[in-house]
Amino acid sequence: MITAEQQRSWVQQLMTRADAGLPGQSPGWLDHARKAARQAVAGLPVLDRKQEAWRYTSIEALLKQCFRPADEAADLPALDINDCLLPAFDSYRLVFVNGRYDPQLSSIEALPDGVNVGSLCAGLSTDPELLATWFGQTANHTEHVFTAMNTALVNDGVFIHVGSQLELGRPIEVIYLSQVDDDPLLMQPRNLIVLDAGAKATLVERFIGFGPSAYFHNNLTEISVGKGASLNHYRVQDESRSAYHLSSLYLSQQAQSLYRGTTLAFGGAWARTDYNSTFKQEGAVCELNGLYTVGDQQLIDFHLNVQHSFPGCVSREQFKGVLYGKGRAVFDGRILVDKQAQHSDAQLSNDNLMLSRNAEVDTKPQLEIYADDVKCSHGTTVGELDPQQVFYLRSRGIDESTARKMLCLGFAAEVLDSINLPALRDAASRKLGDTLNAAVEEWGGKT
Amino acid sequence: MLSIKNLQVSIEDKAILRGLNLDVGSGEVHAIMGPNGSGKSTLSHVLAGREGYQVTAGEVLFDGQDLLALEPEQRAHKGIFLGMQYPVELPGVNNMTFMRESLNTIHRARGEAELDVPEFMQRVREKARLLELDEQLLKRNVNVGFSGGEKKRNEILQMAMLEPRLAILDETDSGLDIDALRIIAGGVNALRSPQRSIILITHYQRLLDYIQPDTVHVLLEGRIVRSGDKQLALELEEKGYGWIEQEAAA
Repeated sequence: MITAEQQRSWVQQLMTRADAGLPGQSPGWLDHARKAARQAVAGLPVLDRKQEAWRYTSIEALLKQCFRPADEAADLPALDINDCLLPAFDSYRLVFVNGRYDPQLSSIEALPDGVNVGSLCAGLSTDPELLATWFGQTANHTEHVFTAMNTALVNDGVFIHVGSQLELGRPIEVIYLSQVDDDPLLMQPRNLIVLDAGAKATLVERFIGFGPSAYFHNNLTEISVGKGASLNHYRVQDESRSAYHLSSLYLSQQAQSLYRGTTLAFGGAWARTDYNSTFKQEGAVCELNGLYTVGDQQLIDFHLNVQHSFPGCVSREQFKGVLYGKGRAVFDGRILVDKQAQHSDAQLSNDNLMLSRNAEVDTKPQLEIYADDVKCSHGTTVGELDPQQVFYLRSRGIDESTARKMLCLGFAAEVLDSINLPALRDAASRKLGDTLNAAVEEWGGKT
Repeated sequence: MLSIKNLQVSIEDKAILRGLNLDVGSGEVHAIMGPNGSGKSTLSHVLAGREGYQVTAGEVLFDGQDLLALEPEQRAHKGIFLGMQYPVELPGVNNMTFMRESLNTIHRARGEAELDVPEFMQRVREKARLLELDEQLLKRNVNVGFSGGEKKRNEILQMAMLEPRLAILDETDSGLDIDALRIIAGGVNALRSPQRSIILITHYQRLLDYIQPDTVHVLLEGRIVRSGDKQLALELEEKGYGWIEQEAAA
């Protein structure tokens, strides 16, 4: 069990170590936000089993690690970005190495007028008014200790602004590369994405990790999708097996806007994604899809908090998991339909395929409905591969391991097929295939 | 080709097959008929290697080799094909990808060349046309959303692609309307050859109007109690199984 004192001293120590890395000059509103978050930390509740949202996700191991931010030079390994690029994928690219923006590896030339893509630090000088307006608008800085920590120590991240009615011809790609070989490192990108009315964009975030040492990738992303705007947002979490990863996403949607979020979670020792989605006006659509694989020494956790506060909005949440070895997954999907949110349409599902008896999933879909004219459904399944399906394939000459792998890929296909970028879909499919090979090998000939 | 001697099989200690004997020669078509619960489907499953059955006695030789010692996929490599009574749906598994994987795996196991994509496509289209199977079904997931008749036609399509040496068709005719039955029978007849044997498991004589068997067997309480030519099937159609049951009991 962790105590409030443990949690507090861990954060304090971390913040003291991190202070040196903060940029000297920053606008007053940012200083203010940092200070407020810092002051709040001491009073935030301890994230133990008594907190419903943290009931199945212990932070004990995380608090045992002593993280510090990457230093300027020593902690920035020379990496060959070509090893991490998707084949035949043309994008506006931002690259962060161990939490720091790397302009050399990035490529954001030839952006259309009215579109700003760059680091948050650059945004402070290129578009300070917009940043001042939107920063902290959707996020709850004091949601818990990690969001407060991210805010207290904001130093850089992604800033994207797509102006009214503009459509980007290429996806924006953000690669977070982590290579940690010695001291455990802390990375805390702070991202702000604003699409004005009628804008259209595709954003791909890829988290890639190497090295034997632990690191904590504690990112916080605020997204605002304007009236009639649409954002396709793909996230591929492929952190190293020593990594702790927390993604906190705060989403706010105006009338008739569309947000499609797909998160594929493969890596990390401890990885959690929190989606907080709020409709600010009528007729918006929010789709959240997810796929996760977990094996030995891995915990992957998804929390969804979708709030239907206005009438006539649609949300679709579909998450699928493949669990093997002693893998552990947590799914907590909550949809809240307020009294005034008539004609809300919400569907939530979570399906888990258990390839081993030692794997464990805690799944909890929740619908809270206070309106009386809505269309809502939720469902969750936890099952094994159907022996009849395995036999069918084997009777057609396909060996048992391949048969199992084909069925797992089939199980995941629905989520993968929803990826509209072929290069990303193929890469995800390959990654899943490799993971399943390892899973099936580990599973061996056991029945 | 296939020789079954004194085969005894139980499911959870309940005896289903109680000393079944059957010999199927190369190029022969055998029909096995019998009332519900007589062991017809158990026989087909045991031959294909499905789990959950205990073979308590007897042997099954396929080309002189102990078939029961082989894994289901190894039996398929040797040329055994089971057309299922209830073909399962495989969500997310593309029908074409599945058939190509199946065919190429079997080719590899036999040391034969794999088919490249154009060769495969040409062959599968040709066979699908013969079975009047909508080409769109090839692009869908295996059996997902297929009608009963489409599932059965998809089974025969796989048989046509895999060109087995012994095909066991388990109630392939059940649930089919007369047009679908005719098409499927046409597909099976096109595959008859001196090198290929077929076991038809059926409840109804009707199928045998379209696929003429060399021999008809009656399976009763786990044993073959009578064998004859196709006249036997007509007799069963007319009189039911009662008279054979009485004879067998006597």
